[in-house]
Amino acid sequence: MLPHLTRRWPVYAVLALLAYPWIWRAPYFHLLGFDTLLGATMAVSWNIMGGYTGYKSLGHSAFFGLGAYLVAIAANRWGWNPLWSAPLLALVVVAVALLLGWIMLRTTGSAFVIATIALLLIFRLLALNLRGITGGAPGLSQPLPPWSPEFSRLPFFYYMLIWTLVAVAVSAFIVRSRFGLGLLAIRDDEGKAEMVGVNTTLYKVLAFGLSAYFVGLGGGIWSYFQTHISPVFAFDLRIGVDMILMTMLGGLGTVWGPVLGAFILIPARDFILFRFGATQIHLAISGALMLAIILFLPRGILPTLQEWLERRRAPASAFVGARLMTELRDESAATASTPPGDPHSRVRPAPR
Amino acid sequence: MSLPPTSVLIQVAIGGLLTGGVYALLVSGLTLIFGVMRVINIAHGAFLVLSAYLAYWLFTLLGMDPIVSIAVLAPLFFVFGVLVQRYLIARVRQEPGLLVLVTFALAITLEGVMGSLWRTTGRSVRTAYTGEVVPLALGDLTVRLPIVQLVGFAAAVIALGVLYLLLTRSDLGRAIRATIQNPDAAQLVGVNVALVRALTFGAALASVAAGGAVFSLIWTFNASSHEAWISKMLSIVVLGGMGSLPGALVGALIIGVAEAVAAVTITTYLSPIVSYLILFFILVFRPQGLLGSRIREA
Repeated sequence: MLPHLTRRWPVYAVLALLAYPWIWRAPYFHLLGFDTLLGATMAVSWNIMGGYTGYKSLGHSAFFGLGAYLVAIAANRWGWNPLWSAPLLALVVVAVALLLGWIMLRTTGSAFVIATIALLLIFRLLALNLRGITGGAPGLSQPLPPWSPEFSRLPFFYYMLIWTLVAVAVSAFIVRSRFGLGLLAIRDDEGKAEMVGVNTTLYKVLAFGLSAYFVGLGGGIWSYFQTHISPVFAFDLRIGVDMILMTMLGGLGTVWGPVLGAFILIPARDFILFRFGATQIHLAISGALMLAIILFLPRGILPTLQEWLERRRAPASAFVGARLMTELRDESAATASTPPGDPHSRVRPAPR
Repeated sequence: MSLPPTSVLIQVAIGGLLTGGVYALLVSGLTLIFGVMRVINIAHGAFLVLSAYLAYWLFTLLGMDPIVSIAVLAPLFFVFGVLVQRYLIARVRQEPGLLVLVTFALAITLEGVMGSLWRTTGRSVRTAYTGEVVPLALGDLTVRLPIVQLVGFAAAVIALGVLYLLLTRSDLGRAIRATIQNPDAAQLVGVNVALVRALTFGAALASVAAGGAVFSLIWTFNASSHEAWISKMLSIVVLGGMGSLPGALVGALIIGVAEAVAAVTITTYLSPIVSYLILFFILVFRPQGLLGSRIREA
């Protein structure tokens, strides 16, 4: 591949995103951009738990809704500006997630998945019924942003962009750290990870808490963006499903996979909604897409693409020689900080 | 929170037991699937609603009573189940986290299809006997039981009886129970485990088809109802012990009564929280449930 382009592409991508709202100036495109960045941020966050650690939560919308409600309540009661209260209150979401994670992460496999669904349902039911705090089914409104309405989506777009970049940076930092290595070890074999001295419980709980941060933050910003929230939309199972879909499409357990997934899925979904209009069809398509990804592209776009490229470039040498070459390349690449991909694809038997 | 009078509580508890019997039918397939293939079928609620819709249409278009329509729906869903297991479940990497996602994806696909076909209007079968009650004298207390509840309960008992006979008296039943106990050993002694899995999925969907027909008599539903129902069904099987049929029966009766009592003591709106909390805490603190054995996945 072209080394300059591959190394610098994030810079170009960010420049393109900065220019985007000025090229497509219609409010619709600003809304689409915001939605995409919001989805990307949350998928990156979900991936820390679902991708790196291998515990796939279906209930992350619980943290989304919690963030949304905390921000709305703080804005109404104490006049806190969501732009600074959202990142702050997301810490409260993290605290809740740490506590719940500490309880829930005694479970593994499908029991964990089901427990996360139960968690979401409990949160939604509480939001519907604690009327004094949440306003019940009608939901909560909060003050409008101070800037003019026709301009209103632009600041949100740039603000969200900042947080997307922060989330990606955090995710990239984690996967290169000792902590990240521990998470990957848990995903691959929890028993062995425990045996070689990884404090699996602590690691899992921390990963769960961390993965709630940007989801809670996203909920907070979304809540300000919407100005009105209600339990059914804030604690919607589909928000969590979207995080999974985006991550699995782009590449589970990769840094950029969730972002790529969001940039494909959200515009595509918008197109479908625009084309067919019905949200029910959108649901059926989401489900069918999820099935298709699991059946035919189980590792997602990025790892599959990477493997394909490597296979093309790999010399047709003997097994030992080819493996040595991969290792040598990895070593030199590691010093020049490679984009981290699926660690499995690093050392693998050479193609015949 | 004030307790309602005892007569009300007795009435409610008996209603809860009848409901619990129907619940047992709804969840029997779910626990069977888990027992045989360690798959938590999140799509079970969606299949339930699908069957209820079909029973509704058979009733509306052909005037077929939902209980009669079981004879049509059960074989249909059996075939459907075998196909789903063969061409979907069996083709995915056998990893618990992934399998749950597959059945979940199936659930929302079905929800989307049903939602676009039949909109979001709540449906319910209204037969000639809907709304009728049978008074039952218990000493000086008269308990009034809705006929649909009694019919549903009777149908559930019969369907569960058939399932029980199938499991205990037939070769397939023996093979299923052997696979539940130990798939590898079953394979060794000549059980075709792949076939047993497909047939179990079929039998499970046939049972939920029967459940759906009964369901259409008693409850109102639309495409998105499956979300609330699958959580209730999961809390029942998790409480009883995943994979255990007697456990499912016990869990169903407990949840049926607990829910009915909670509806009159707490509020109707908040009463589902009982089953969600049961689900959450049993999963975390006693994953084997009441009657199940501790099962290691994968």
